[in-house]
Amino acid sequence: MQITSGTTNLLEHYLDLAATQLKVTAGNMANVDTPGFKTVGFDFEAEMRRADPGGEDGESAPVLDRVGGLISRPDGNNVSMDREGMKMADAQLKFKTGIALLRSDFAQISEAIHSDTK
Amino acid sequence: MNLFGVLDISGSALTAERIRAEVIAVNMANAQTTRTAAGGPYVRQQVVFQSSGGAPAIGFEDLLAAAGQGPRMSSGEGPEGVRVAAVVPDRTAPIERYDPQHPDADKDGFVALPDINPLTEMADLMGASRAYGLNSSAIQATKAMIASSLEILK
Repeated sequence: MQITSGTTNLLEHYLDLAATQLKVTAGNMANVDTPGFKTVGFDFEAEMRRADPGGEDGESAPVLDRVGGLISRPDGNNVSMDREGMKMADAQLKFKTGIALLRSDFAQISEAIHSDTK
Repeated sequence: MNLFGVLDISGSALTAERIRAEVIAVNMANAQTTRTAAGGPYVRQQVVFQSSGGAPAIGFEDLLAAAGQGPRMSSGEGPEGVRVAAVVPDRTAPIERYDPQHPDADKDGFVALPDINPLTEMADLMGASRAYGLNSSAIQATKAMIASSLEILK
């Protein structure tokens, strides 16, 4: 007997990815003055698609890659404060969305549990 | 995925940027120093940042290993923050200023003063201050996320 739904598992993965995105962005921001450092990132949508709700926990940490298309400074560093700021706001909003959806998911289950006492 | 680990990353940057600001402050404070424990005028100091984690500044070996398949990292090897690798002295020769009244003037009347440009130091200090602000706003964002994850329990 399983209480949680498929949506719960998907949302867990979604929250995981949002937290990873925050971590990667924080790492990029921390290295904004490190010579030779290259911006690291991952494809959120592709990682989300990789999640298989029916599969037996086949998810692993997202594949990190160097982000292309950024302009390097003379010291070899290509961290863009604007990009990182946007990514951080993006991760925050995604995380809050995930939390809100998860809450409504749990509220539904709770509703079902308490429906006989009404 | 640990959200508290993100705080460590941003915290390491705060520490590194604060050390950078401190070193700049020391440089500016000693702009006119002609006597040091090592003898001679003060030598300007510079910080060297190094990323501490799986994705450091790319070196030759790094690129060679990645040749063919592109610079791809395996998962979980993201940047893990930054640290001050070293504080190195700037070996620029001191400025010789003619000031025969100065107690540290040589026999020709020249005083050796550290080569410190206030403009360079101020611009550097501004950079450190901005980077500090950037990382402290990252901490605020992380805190907001941890707080919102507590919402599930309510």
